[in-house]
Amino acid sequence: MKHVFPKLVFSTVMVLLVGCGRSPEVAYKLNSVELLKQEKLFLDNGDHFDDSYKREIGSILTAVFGTPNDPLLPVLLKDDDPVLRVINSQHVARSAGPVNRDYTQVRNGLYRQHCAHCHGITGDGHGPTAPFLNPYPRDFRMAKFKYKATPLRSVPTDHDLTDVLINGVPGTAMPSFRTMDGDQIAALVDYVKFLTMRGQYERFLMAELSNLDQGEPLIDLALAKQYRVMLEVREPTQQQQQQLGQLEEKHLDTMWSVVGARLIEDVIARWVDADKNRTAVPSAPNAYSRDDRDHQDFLEKGRRLFYEKGNCAQCHGDTGVGNGQLENFDDWTNDWIKTPGVNPFYPNSYREFTDAGALAPRPIKPRNLTEAVYRGGGQPEEIYLRIANGIEGTPMPAAPALSSDEIWALVAYVKALPYSRTYHWPAKGVNANQIAR
Amino acid sequence: MKTRKMKTRNMKTRNMKTRNMNSHICRSIALLIAVSVAGVWSSLASTEVVAEDGWGTLKGRVVVSGDLPLPTVEPIDGHPDQSICVVNGEIPNDDNIVIGDNGGLRDVYVMMYVKGKGAKAPIHPSYAGGVAVQQVSIDNVNCRFVPHAVFVKTGRSILLKNSDSVGHNCHITTFNNEHNVNLPSGAEVKVTLDKADKVPGQVKCDIHKWMDGVVLVRDNPYVAITDGLGNFEIKNIPAGHWEFQFWHKSAGYMRALESGSYKFGRRGQTAVTIVDGGKLDLGRLGFPTKFLK
Repeated sequence: MKHVFPKLVFSTVMVLLVGCGRSPEVAYKLNSVELLKQEKLFLDNGDHFDDSYKREIGSILTAVFGTPNDPLLPVLLKDDDPVLRVINSQHVARSAGPVNRDYTQVRNGLYRQHCAHCHGITGDGHGPTAPFLNPYPRDFRMAKFKYKATPLRSVPTDHDLTDVLINGVPGTAMPSFRTMDGDQIAALVDYVKFLTMRGQYERFLMAELSNLDQGEPLIDLALAKQYRVMLEVREPTQQQQQQLGQLEEKHLDTMWSVVGARLIEDVIARWVDADKNRTAVPSAPNAYSRDDRDHQDFLEKGRRLFYEKGNCAQCHGDTGVGNGQLENFDDWTNDWIKTPGVNPFYPNSYREFTDAGALAPRPIKPRNLTEAVYRGGGQPEEIYLRIANGIEGTPMPAAPALSSDEIWALVAYVKALPYSRTYHWPAKGVNANQIAR
Repeated sequence: MKTRKMKTRNMKTRNMKTRNMNSHICRSIALLIAVSVAGVWSSLASTEVVAEDGWGTLKGRVVVSGDLPLPTVEPIDGHPDQSICVVNGEIPNDDNIVIGDNGGLRDVYVMMYVKGKGAKAPIHPSYAGGVAVQQVSIDNVNCRFVPHAVFVKTGRSILLKNSDSVGHNCHITTFNNEHNVNLPSGAEVKVTLDKADKVPGQVKCDIHKWMDGVVLVRDNPYVAITDGLGNFEIKNIPAGHWEFQFWHKSAGYMRALESGSYKFGRRGQTAVTIVDGGKLDLGRLGFPTKFLK
């Protein structure tokens, strides 16, 4: 009993010292790396864009996409807005906000609870744990996804994103979230799409800056102010009502076509009917089956393709352990290390970028195919898709020059590699084509 | 009436959260921005010029001034495919900065600059769809892209070829387009680039790191790439006042271009006047080599 008083004093003092005020407002971060890249590319050495552009881009994004605590769908004045076909607004609200349960025990704040520590509140792949992970968590803002059934520059289907959440990405820090119920996963999938759209729109806005003259605003504020004054009149007189009508008349028709067609529509439209872009996977030929009498020949065909027509050995190495090309980078890194003056192997040359929030560049390694760990999933159909479509954001190319039969032969060979003891150890400096012969 | 409608539509956006008064402010800002961007837009869109006065030609030559940069060899030494990538037994020089005997700078893009994405220049029939156009192609020869720099009109295809006995991949990345195709020896693959870009993007082979070409995708056909002597010519430009931009991979926008009678802006642009049947010669445009990075 006698210990209670000191404890009470202690906690009171702590509260007084630390304060029980609220933590700072959770906010989306500006894409400073993209801004710096645009400055380096288009301004004279050392010049910066006017600070007003940062504020302007921030307020445009807040107006169109809201804040983490109060997200908005980028719906601009149309009931049949395409974004409503792509994203469920309740899903976004459920994922984005603070972690809590509502009175029906429905969990909210899913993204902050499960994703933000790696992927960041903004979806920039730069949460607190990101620098310690290898590979780095995905930055959604580039709108590129690796493991999907659609080709390059086509967004993944909901099914693809759900698959990643349910299975995780083997070989990386991305865990499986299969203990969550379907509603929760669907909510997160929609929020990933939301963050992707927001990030891409932000990059599009920043790309516009180099086209402006110094000091010229992205948007016409005078007109905006005039409109806002009119809008805030509670009970407009007939004359004011008319004026407002005219302002709208003048711009309403163009509004969607303008904001939309130029930037937002691009960002949203690619998500509509994503399923249509799925690459069909033809069923495997009989020889794919291990019981088929032609299976050995089929494997041999795959082996030859691996070294010859498929070009696989050039990156994945002569023995498939992934030691062919070791100095390439993925697109999330290539995006800024291609800026003049940056050398990804000399930290001093990119200090400005890491200061702006870029993660230190790391070369991307071709996958070691002898380990039977497949990030995009090990089902034969999944490996078929990786070969046929390539892997977005990486050097792995698509294979339009291979027939589906040839791709299946490669799948068979790749799947057999981890269990094969018949490695070919070639002499150093031997060309891949020579090995196969 | 219309106001009412607009507000109710906007309420839809708010369905996701039944919340506070913040919503009103946000709503007005959203509208405000939408409206104002619209304003900027409509003023831009109206700048379209109709060519009633015929068509003319623009030509000129880009030459470098100052100390010539020392040529650097491609990092081929020690690569397993070295025997295929050397030319006549020698390792070739880097092909990003190629300067002719007369000082002419190769692979400078000269592009019509129409401000605002909606604004368009009239298209001469010789550039219009339906007219047979030469297939743009990029070949892989001795581990380099031939030609090094290409221009392709939006929606048209590029033929990717591999004449080497070793495999390549052809990884095209621009701001709005991307293709990455595997090119076995002897392969021919066509890819289509669908969206216009503001500046050229890159063509890379990830297997041979030194292979780095340039590609521009534009709807506007008034684009030229300088030849080995630095010469360029664009035919059938609509008569009128236009701006043209100069861009080189190693310099970005060439704002440092020097000319007696033309000034170059921040985006490497200069204003020209094209007259019907006229052949405007910009003459010799000097570019100090210190700006080539």
